[in-house]
Amino acid sequence: MAFFVKALLVCALGLGVGLLASAYALSHLSPFDSSRMGPWRLEAHAGSTEIDPYTRARIERSGEIPLAAGEGIQLVARTDDDGRPLDARCVYKVGPRVPSSRYWTLSLIDEDGWPIDNLARRYGFRSSEIMRAGNGDFTITVAAGVEPGNWLPIGAPGRFALALRLYDSPFGATADAIDKSMVPRVARVSCG
Amino acid sequence: MTGFRRGQAASFLAATAILAMLVHFVVMLLAPFVASQDAFARLAPLGAVNDTVLMQGGSPTAKMLPYADPAMAMAFCRYDLASGPIRVQAPAGRSFSSISFHTRRGLVFYALTDKAAIHGVVEAVLGTPAEVRALAAHDDDESPSHDLRIAAPASEGFVLMRVFSEFPSLYAQAESEAKRLSCKPEAVPH
Repeated sequence: MAFFVKALLVCALGLGVGLLASAYALSHLSPFDSSRMGPWRLEAHAGSTEIDPYTRARIERSGEIPLAAGEGIQLVARTDDDGRPLDARCVYKVGPRVPSSRYWTLSLIDEDGWPIDNLARRYGFRSSEIMRAGNGDFTITVAAGVEPGNWLPIGAPGRFALALRLYDSPFGATADAIDKSMVPRVARVSCG
Repeated sequence: MTGFRRGQAASFLAATAILAMLVHFVVMLLAPFVASQDAFARLAPLGAVNDTVLMQGGSPTAKMLPYADPAMAMAFCRYDLASGPIRVQAPAGRSFSSISFHTRRGLVFYALTDKAAIHGVVEAVLGTPAEVRALAAHDDDESPSHDLRIAAPASEGFVLMRVFSEFPSLYAQAESEAKRLSCKPEAVPH
């Protein structure tokens, strides 16, 4: 009887822990295929047949369509340079450069990857429309309130994320080779 | 006595850990096959096989696919290679555009950008490995086919076309370019 109770307990615990671990893994980046560049995270093989089972399961669960290795790469930042979660009450400066690519875009998304509605109807910036300094450097100001220059509005309170996509980048297949000093900085300027 | 209890506790924990790991691996490996809201499940109801469907994007009202770039116009067509190979064609515009090939279980197995365009058209023939072999078997040595043939690892999936809009005002133009993606059945010679 005691053995039966113990066996039942093992089954219940094993099932519970296994399911919890799976739920966590399905909503977080794969530990086997995510590299970190400053605040940016990247799944280097999400868009190739070398995708690992964890990344694949997460992508299937979320419904996103990853960029193929030959198309470009996507970097996502959920924190600032100092590792603090991105917060709608704060003002951030993103820049001044990005790794080489034919085009790039920076857009603001919620924690599940959806664009956030805002009155300015501005969901992101393209490399082709941005205002730059004379030397080609740029600064995008991410803030809830109106800012001069390249202003990316935060449309809702709470946490958010930034997605940087590099199209037709020479780093497409070798994303790990990106020079960490070339990814844009995400600097927290102030917090209201 | 305590040694015995400790041994029992250890085997209890070990059994639990092994079971938890088994459950976890089975769930992770099965997840792509039971996911009900994956990209294919979201796209499939929008159009029939081989139909080109423009996706509503670029704004928060159209919650089509997470992590989609609002600067990208996207169109797709579903394929089912059980009824034969298909020819995929898309005109290359002046901006960046790409065609990627996906299985219904979330595998990206090929992609072409506008740089691969010949005479302004990006073109490929998609088939199962057997269909690709059948096409190759009928190649004429005198005038070889110039087709790019892609063997799909699964018979069902979708082809996605992305067209980059350089400015918000060019988004509508990018959409009309994306709509020109075409997926047509390709005859296999007998």
